[in-house]
Amino acid sequence: MLAACGSGSGSGAGPSRQTWTDVRARAKGQTVRWWLYGGDARVNAYVRRSVKPALARAGVTLETVRVTDTADAVSRVVAQRRAGKTSGGAVDLIWINGENFAAGKRAGLWLRDWARTLPNARYVDRGDPTIARDFQVPVDGQESPWSRAGFVFAADERRVPDPPEDLDALLAYARAHPGRVTYPAPPDFTGSAFVRQVVRAKGEDRAFAYLRALKPYMYRRGRVLPKSEAELNGLFANGQVDLAMSYDASFVLTAVRKGQFPGTARPFVLAGGTLTNTSFVAIPADAAHPAAAKVLANLLLDPRQQAIKADPDVLGNPTVLDPSRLPADARARAVRASRSPYLLADLGRPVQELAAADVPRLEARFKREVLR
Amino acid sequence: MTSRPGGRRGDLARLAPASLTVLVLFGGALAGAVRTSLVPLGGPPGLEAWRALVHSPGFGEAVRFTAQVTVLSTLLAAGAGLALAAALRRRGVVARSLLALPVTVPHLLAATLAVLWLAPGGVADRLLGGLPVDIVRDRAGLGIVLVYVYKEAPFLALLVLAGCGPALAEREEAAAVLGATPWQRLRWVTWPAVRAPLLLGSVIVAAYAAGAFEVPLLVGPNFPATLSTFAYEATQGDVVTGQGQAAAALLLVSGFSVALAAIAVRFARDVEGA
Amino acid sequence: MPLATARGRTAGLLLALAGALLVAVVVLPPASLVVQAFADVWRAPALVPQRFGTRGVQLAFGSGGAGAALLTSLAVATVTTGLALVLAWPAARVLGERRLRHPGPVALLLAMPLLIPPYAVGTGLTEWWLRLGLAGTAAGLVLAHLTLVLPYAVLLLLPGFGPGLRRLEEMGRAAGLSGVQRLRWVTLPVVRPTLAAAALLCALVSWSQYGTSLAVAPTRPTLPVLLLPFVGTDPQVAATLSVLFLAPALAALVVTVRALRVTT
Repeated sequence: MLAACGSGSGSGAGPSRQTWTDVRARAKGQTVRWWLYGGDARVNAYVRRSVKPALARAGVTLETVRVTDTADAVSRVVAQRRAGKTSGGAVDLIWINGENFAAGKRAGLWLRDWARTLPNARYVDRGDPTIARDFQVPVDGQESPWSRAGFVFAADERRVPDPPEDLDALLAYARAHPGRVTYPAPPDFTGSAFVRQVVRAKGEDRAFAYLRALKPYMYRRGRVLPKSEAELNGLFANGQVDLAMSYDASFVLTAVRKGQFPGTARPFVLAGGTLTNTSFVAIPADAAHPAAAKVLANLLLDPRQQAIKADPDVLGNPTVLDPSRLPADARARAVRASRSPYLLADLGRPVQELAAADVPRLEARFKREVLR
Repeated sequence: MTSRPGGRRGDLARLAPASLTVLVLFGGALAGAVRTSLVPLGGPPGLEAWRALVHSPGFGEAVRFTAQVTVLSTLLAAGAGLALAAALRRRGVVARSLLALPVTVPHLLAATLAVLWLAPGGVADRLLGGLPVDIVRDRAGLGIVLVYVYKEAPFLALLVLAGCGPALAEREEAAAVLGATPWQRLRWVTWPAVRAPLLLGSVIVAAYAAGAFEVPLLVGPNFPATLSTFAYEATQGDVVTGQGQAAAALLLVSGFSVALAAIAVRFARDVEGA
Repeated sequence: MPLATARGRTAGLLLALAGALLVAVVVLPPASLVVQAFADVWRAPALVPQRFGTRGVQLAFGSGGAGAALLTSLAVATVTTGLALVLAWPAARVLGERRLRHPGPVALLLAMPLLIPPYAVGTGLTEWWLRLGLAGTAAGLVLAHLTLVLPYAVLLLLPGFGPGLRRLEEMGRAAGLSGVQRLRWVTLPVVRPTLAAAALLCALVSWSQYGTSLAVAPTRPTLPVLLLPFVGTDPQVAATLSVLFLAPALAALVVTVRALRVTT
């Protein structure tokens, strides 16, 4: 079972190892341009301190291109495609998932059949539905997993010692404390995820009835919603609302470290199940340095890197690796409990994401039925 | 009347570098935007994107709201700009530096500052213990108008002041000597000098207010949205097909701005009789 | 007589108050950025930050790459302004001296980049630059900025030229001055304030340019491109970068206004 070395698990170990040597040889001396979300200082620091040097040891230079939104990176690939470029693209690797991945897959933007050829892919449980499908869209080897996310909420334990246990309790709390609850408006990433969380818990029609019922008791009577998670965090930090939320399970830790949230903020999840997703890295088909990009993707799956990432002092992100497939010592490191009041040890019952095609439909329905 | 060597051909030659630059660089970009709105990635050309745009929920309100915010911002900025120019006409360096300060602050920063100061929980709220009126994120778009006036009134004032130099002061004095009343001086001497830069500047301000998305993104309401926010959100949804809709929305705004500019140029020319 | 002076005094006081309020509105918000840049913790309802620190500066210059972005912005702004003024000068001359019978279409063409939303220009330029092979290059960045700055250059140089200047130049020619001498002793001194104002605004437009810079050369970030992802997500770093952004702009402003004072 724990065939950590030698032929290992995974298809065609012999030939793929030779090809991998080719890839590594080709990658030496290349620069990989990795486009990723730039607004999280801790991710930037992790990439600079851990990933970049490790990659340099493999002879590859890392250049990060920080974007405000993954869509900006995908736009660039689309623009290149429109201009008729089929190689030498400026984007080598993108941190991506969900709708963005699905739209790119439909348009044939991503390199195919490479994720399974990575040596470290053997540590990943490909049978896990959250790894094999990205928002219900089959991954098909077009992207490699990197990070996990769970939708968590936050409350200040001084003001709200007893956070609501589920959505109905949340509605009751809003009724008892009008103007103290809000969520970002879709199509913001976090707001959209919150709506999906409600839909998963209640079913679509009842979910929208719930959101309409919640509206009059919300901050500013639900007529004005924050446009982004950052804005909601600002409201929470300034004590305007009592709840914050994020798809980043370690966001409370990050915000407290930033000095944004009070030290008494605590994360929690709702009983109806926690929306979870995996985020991946994808290589555009026209990338200039696909070999270097593959080496980077492989490095990101390295058990040591995943363990560093899971350390609450670094990022506190849960690992995408399957602990049962790791060698014993690596397993111990990965399973070490992240003991921090700002990180949840247990994210509750994971609930899978909806299909990527549903997301825009739900956002449009939200605009029509709730926002007006 | 050209006593300059080269005559008409010389004039065209002088206009060529700037015109060609704009034609090649910008013209190519504009053609690309039009193409994006008409040709989806990997599909046949068609009006899909335009149709989808017009039928999107909230499109009609977006058009009305954009027009409302643009007109209000431009008129208020022009009025304030004129007042500032008149007040600071004979002042010195310090006053003009202060006037130009908002011009150095880009719109994005100005909007961020507006949120920092004027939002609930912002600095003004903490100082005054509560603001009576919603300025940020209100449905009338007051926050947007405020940021644009903060930025553009000084810009317009500077344009106007650039047109009033010592030559104008001389002409005003000459008119006064000839017996013109203050009103007559204003109407026949000052206003014609001020009118052209003000008009041109206002058109630029209107075009910017109609088309930029950073300010409504930060201080504008969720609903109704502006056309530029529409474009931005379209690309956030489905990146591949959303670009067509975004391009269509922005070209719509451009059409309005170009029409406005053409009218303004025509108006200025008619009045000048040039 | 006493009533008139009393009223005059109240009017003067009100005017002074209005002026002070205006100054406060203009100066305080940017000043608050400096406070926020050094505020590790600043939450409502506190008027003064709860904790000061240099976290913002450390992050901005450390993993942020603020130094490189600053240099990129400076270089691009300088080159773009120079190019724009050179290209705009002859065109502004023709338009300013009212030598065209139909200036409308030319004016419209030159003003077009200002009438199209910056986001559309940015996306259109990316694709165009990709076809021309300019995407990601420093030259591509400069040309992209030039596209937006040139109209401002023409617009602001316009008032500097006119029949009056032409008469002076003709007098100079009649007096026997050569072309270069005319330029140096007649044209430049008269045009200098307009030139200074035009140079300043062109530099500012390039300095503040975000959408086009991001679209054309995201691997070579300018300061605004670096700044945007932090707005909202990390206010302290955003404030630090904002101060870094504003300081040179303000310095340029002061220098220009001083230069103007000498001539006006």
